[in-house]
Amino acid sequence: MLSVLIWLPVIGALIVGFWPTNMTAKVSRKISLGVSIAVFIWSLVLMSQFKIGEPGIQFSEFLPWIEALGLTYHLGIDGLSLPLVILNGLLTCIAIYSTDESINRPRFYYSMLLLLNASVVGAFLAQDLLLFFLFYEVELIPLYLLIAIWGGQRRGYAAIKFLIYTAISGILILASFFGLVLLSGASTFEFEKVYAVSLPLGAQFLLLAGILVGFGIKIPLVPFHTWLPDAHVEASTPISVLLAGVLLKLGTYGLLRFGLGLFPEAWAVLAPWLATWAAVSVLYGALNAIAQTDMKKMVAYSSVGHMGYILLAAAAATPLSLLATVLQMISHGLISGLLFLLVGVVYKKTGTRDINVLSGLLNPEGGLPLIGSLMVMGVMASAGIPGMVGFISEFLVFRGSFPVFPTQTLFCMVGTSLTAVYFLLLVNRVFFGRLSANVLNLPPVQWSDRTPSIILAILIVMLGVQPSWMVRWSETTTTAMITHSQAVVQLPSVMISQ
Amino acid sequence: MRDFLIQTSWWVPLYGLIGAVLTLPWSTGIIRRTGPRPAAYFNLLMTVLAFVHGTLVFRATWNHEPYEIVFHWLKAADLDLSFSLDISSLSVGAMELVTSLSLLAQLFALGYMEKDWALARFFALMGFFEGAISGLAISDNLFLTYALLEMLTLSTYLLVGFWYAQPLVVTAARDAFLTKRVGDVLLLMGVVAVGTFAGSLDFPDLYEWAETATLSPTTATLLGLALIAGPIGKCAQFPLHLWLDEAMEGPNPASILRNSVVVAAGAYVLIKLQPILNVSPVALTTLIVIGTVTAIGASMVAIAQIDIKRALSHSTSAYLGLVFIAVGTQWTDFALLLLFTHAVAKALLFMSAGSIILTTNNQNLTEMGGLWSRMPATTTAFVVGSAGLVGLLPLGGFWGLRLGIDDLWIDIPWLVPVLLLVNALTALNLTRVFRLVFLGPKAPKTRRAPEVPWPMAVPMVSLVLITLSIPILMQSLSLLPDWMYINQGAVLLLVGSGLIGTISGAAIDLRRNWSRPVQITLRFLQDLLAYDFYIDRLYRLSVVFAVNQLSRLNAWIDRYVVDGLVNLVGLATMFSGQGLKYNVSGQSQFYVLSIILGLSLLCFLMSWPMLTVLNTQL
Amino acid sequence: MTITTLKCRTHPLAAYINRLKAGETLVPDTAENVAEVVGILKSYGVVLDAYYRNLLYIADHQFLVLFPFFKYFNGDISLKKLMLHWWHDRINFEYAEYCMKTMLWHGGGGLDAYLDSQEFIDRSQQAIQAKIKDNFLIRGLHSLFPDFLPEQVRQQAYYSALGQFWQVMSEMFLTLSDRYDLREIETIPQVVAHIRDGLVAAANNPITYAVKIENQVYEIIPKSVGLTFLPDVAIPYVEAVFFRGTPFLGTVSFNAQAQQIPPEQARFEYGALYADPLPIGGGGIPPTLLMQDMRHYLPDYLLNIYRHSLRGEDNLRVQICQSFQKSMFCVTNATIVGLAPYPLDTSDAAQQQANQVYLEKWMDRFITSRLLEVNK
Repeated sequence: MLSVLIWLPVIGALIVGFWPTNMTAKVSRKISLGVSIAVFIWSLVLMSQFKIGEPGIQFSEFLPWIEALGLTYHLGIDGLSLPLVILNGLLTCIAIYSTDESINRPRFYYSMLLLLNASVVGAFLAQDLLLFFLFYEVELIPLYLLIAIWGGQRRGYAAIKFLIYTAISGILILASFFGLVLLSGASTFEFEKVYAVSLPLGAQFLLLAGILVGFGIKIPLVPFHTWLPDAHVEASTPISVLLAGVLLKLGTYGLLRFGLGLFPEAWAVLAPWLATWAAVSVLYGALNAIAQTDMKKMVAYSSVGHMGYILLAAAAATPLSLLATVLQMISHGLISGLLFLLVGVVYKKTGTRDINVLSGLLNPEGGLPLIGSLMVMGVMASAGIPGMVGFISEFLVFRGSFPVFPTQTLFCMVGTSLTAVYFLLLVNRVFFGRLSANVLNLPPVQWSDRTPSIILAILIVMLGVQPSWMVRWSETTTTAMITHSQAVVQLPSVMISQ
Repeated sequence: MRDFLIQTSWWVPLYGLIGAVLTLPWSTGIIRRTGPRPAAYFNLLMTVLAFVHGTLVFRATWNHEPYEIVFHWLKAADLDLSFSLDISSLSVGAMELVTSLSLLAQLFALGYMEKDWALARFFALMGFFEGAISGLAISDNLFLTYALLEMLTLSTYLLVGFWYAQPLVVTAARDAFLTKRVGDVLLLMGVVAVGTFAGSLDFPDLYEWAETATLSPTTATLLGLALIAGPIGKCAQFPLHLWLDEAMEGPNPASILRNSVVVAAGAYVLIKLQPILNVSPVALTTLIVIGTVTAIGASMVAIAQIDIKRALSHSTSAYLGLVFIAVGTQWTDFALLLLFTHAVAKALLFMSAGSIILTTNNQNLTEMGGLWSRMPATTTAFVVGSAGLVGLLPLGGFWGLRLGIDDLWIDIPWLVPVLLLVNALTALNLTRVFRLVFLGPKAPKTRRAPEVPWPMAVPMVSLVLITLSIPILMQSLSLLPDWMYINQGAVLLLVGSGLIGTISGAAIDLRRNWSRPVQITLRFLQDLLAYDFYIDRLYRLSVVFAVNQLSRLNAWIDRYVVDGLVNLVGLATMFSGQGLKYNVSGQSQFYVLSIILGLSLLCFLMSWPMLTVLNTQL
Repeated sequence: MTITTLKCRTHPLAAYINRLKAGETLVPDTAENVAEVVGILKSYGVVLDAYYRNLLYIADHQFLVLFPFFKYFNGDISLKKLMLHWWHDRINFEYAEYCMKTMLWHGGGGLDAYLDSQEFIDRSQQAIQAKIKDNFLIRGLHSLFPDFLPEQVRQQAYYSALGQFWQVMSEMFLTLSDRYDLREIETIPQVVAHIRDGLVAAANNPITYAVKIENQVYEIIPKSVGLTFLPDVAIPYVEAVFFRGTPFLGTVSFNAQAQQIPPEQARFEYGALYADPLPIGGGGIPPTLLMQDMRHYLPDYLLNIYRHSLRGEDNLRVQICQSFQKSMFCVTNATIVGLAPYPLDTSDAAQQQANQVYLEKWMDRFITSRLLEVNK
């Protein structure tokens, strides 16, 4: 069942990439769109079969692979990964749909996108540390190529920077995984088997540090974030959507699954520092966003800030805050996806993203009124205005974290008001005012430019009004995670004796 | 039937929202060949429904115990976020005030905005506005209240920014949003904190908690201050008051609502919070201080304004300052009564101002004059509105202020002069404005001034009648005091202060031209008041400057220290600086190189564990 | 004297003065301009036809009606029409009223002066008394606010005057279009000449206004006052609507302290020849109503031109406004030529000098107008 999610896009990628006869851009686009929609629908089918009350992994698939290595092909899904898998499916469809139809080398491009989809899903589904790592590394190659080939002017620099950062992140993570398995004397990398392990605290710190920095690069957390603005600015719009919407979530997912999940004890000790780190990240990202003049960079820095909330909630590790991390991941995925799409449309039509050059784009005749209205909505969602999904997830983050780390939480809240500052700056400069003379004759906006944004906007409002549609899938899992880690922290002797 | 009405009372706020949604085909430009007026009609219809439904609910709740409706919105982990609604005659009455003023303002807008092709967007926002405020009236849960306040912030931003192509509107909308947002975020901190301490966000639970709460004084103070920050922003109180002046750039029908019920919504929340604020005496004192400063300061600033909307809007801040004093001294009955009477009278004054602006294409008081005999409805509206606001004739404002003086008479007598001063200054200001606009010779811009058409005149006249009948309404709700218990000294003082204000307003020398006082001190004083004590400049030099510089510094550090360091140490060694920095790649070799690099890295990583594992096994 | 000559040489718009003297026009004579101007004047003519009929209807049949619910129906009330009205599937008569109010507010000309005369007051009082004699409430109001109803009658007079003006203009524009279709008109100078001839022909038409109350006719503006088409309505109209206009809420701040609006109406530059077409369609821009009305009556050749622009029909109303501005410069051009003290191609030096002064006065006002833009 789960394998379909991985292998269907791989097959799609092979077909699009290597079908012997000539394939037009249109056909390759249609095939890949069809495949991605099929994958998305399949993930929805899985969701409908998902048993909400069960905390453990479901739809488990197991195949021994390289036994000498301890590598197994073990897949499973739980309340933490399910929403992310669905988000990935949705955003992949949107990314393919919103790709420029006249893109260069379409077959290569679409097969890379599908490959990216497969590897990301693989990472979310993997129940084996090595398998996770494999997917985590594989994902890097298509993404690297997608930035390096179809990016902007400085794409080479941005892509290489991304590649190196992520590779380092991979090395650190892998080192920690190995250290964990070696030190604990386990014979396998299966997640369930190393799950309950308990090591001397010093070793735990060392290993957790690797995980933290490794995933911290991916999330990204200050000061490991500088690859992100560059990658976003250079990447094309669909890639930015995927990067912000899904790929960053690999970092937070990894942090929760392997940081909090594997090292509850060390985590509990480090938590205050992590929360402080989160607050620094939030404020740093927000302040940097204020100073940006490139819309895309602004949204990218806002991502840095908003991903910080997840770390805060993860550090607090209360049942509520952990649930909030899932919500915040989804809401950030949808909102930043929407914002990148809209910035992409503005860029496509006007040829610039500079907020000092653009103005008055809300103009109903000569501007981009609907895109502008959606942008207003998107930034308001990002600033945490009620009625949209950003509000409830941020509220739960704060409400969940406040009892544990009041000061850090308050500082993070300052971040939300700074979010309002920079995004208001953006909307006021770019969309309000008189239509600027630089952009007098814009090509008309097609419905295909608008549809993906409208879909995301509807989801943002829908989940904002009815957040229990998100909460129900993850609540059991996150609560179980907390119960487990609390048990570990409180009763280390019991765990050791096992 | 009664049960059904009460059970469905939560529909009332939804009508406005439904109206807002119904305008979408026009406001998003899907329907372009025909005009946007159907959207306006839908909204009016929805507001009529809300009004009628609300009236029925009000009759059903009258003389009955409050009724509670609870919606379980979100149960997440150990948190139960439910929306509880308090259906009492007080809350439903407040809701009625909102819907009725909204109805009148929308009808007024039909005339005022008839030449505006963005009518659909305007009515959508008005519907949203109405929905949020009427929801606020019946909300019995701090979380819901907070959420609705934020939605008000958003809709204020959009309404002030309605004419987004106008440069001053752009800054006004931004400032309105950010100022309110500062208050909102502080309030959010308070909400999160109090939710954690009390374990619930329902007001009754919070009240119960507040009675027995044992917080450290610092925590209690911080909590109290955070909770009042939201209302300070919403009610345009010092130091978060500047937005209201700027918000006058927005369309006048929205100003009618903004100056009557929107600011009142903030104060209403404050009244709801009042029992919780009891945990912090500092917060209560702060309320009194802020209220006093704003009430007196804004009253004086209003007198120096030459813009008709601003002359009225600063007086809104002043009256809300009195409400703050009332809450700070825990006289909530005074607060509520003043809010109610102020809302009605101020709405009427703004309607009058709207029809003056539309007729004369002008907001400058120094360029007006002689309108009275040609504009009966507008003139009457202004006179009655003023009378309803000032404590002089036995209309709403008089009874409201009288109650306040009575309440404070024994407890905190030093606040009584504040009330009297505000009353006198308001009377002076309104008399001044009346003389400038309606009396005197005709000015060029007021030379031809036919009275406004019926869509604007009807709401104006209706509100005149409502304002005049407020004492009767109060009598029927037994809100008027018995003659025996009236504090005659208080009444004399109140009427005296109103009279002094009116007479001095009638006597002062009014300058209609641009020339300014020759005397340097007078001139300085006039400018100081006209430009609102230069507080906006103060902000620009302090907060705005600080945030700006901090973000620049941060960006510089990010670029040259963090990124530079990483590039230098981590990466520069691996590639030539040239290739890395500005690689204008397009050459396929480079891709191949990077792919090979990536793959070999992967292979290396893959083989390393194998080696290690083998190592251990050997 | 030297200063004047110096000025004429250095006048920023000297090129246009020379063009006018040479018999050329303010708007360049190109085939596309002719199509745009004639096409837009055709649809403007259709719209004006509806406007003037309604203005005259309101002037004649809604005299001092305080609740004119059906003032846009021209007396023909049916369910179908009501439904279309409610659906806003109709001509935006609000725009006609807006022009009327702008004219009333700015004043100028003989009509404005007459409305302040004792004769008007006496005549309007008779009509008012006849109208309100059975309405005690209004009579009470009238005695309390004695200028309320006379001011309304002044407004009614402007309803009628603008209606009469547009009646002539509408017909003139429609015949222009017919002549274009017959290929009688092929250049901009011909367009200008057609309009000038039309204005000259109607120049001395009398402007009158009378209402019928209970079968008794009350002459508010009798013929004997001697108000005529050109000096008393057309020129004030051009002044009020083409030049001065009123500030748009959507682009100008009314904030008194911001001082964006000049204190003297004579310094207003918000009229049709000055307004920026770009914000058309947005909030607070009244001319949007006119552009919206005209979009329904565009001739095919003009619609084709618009459709082939980059944005196609997306910015139709802005394009209409741009063409409309061109056509309004043609109308102004015709007025300039028609009002010139001497023929513009005169060879007499003194006459040339007088013409030069006359033209410079116009050009002074065009400096900040959209003249250069329509010439791009």
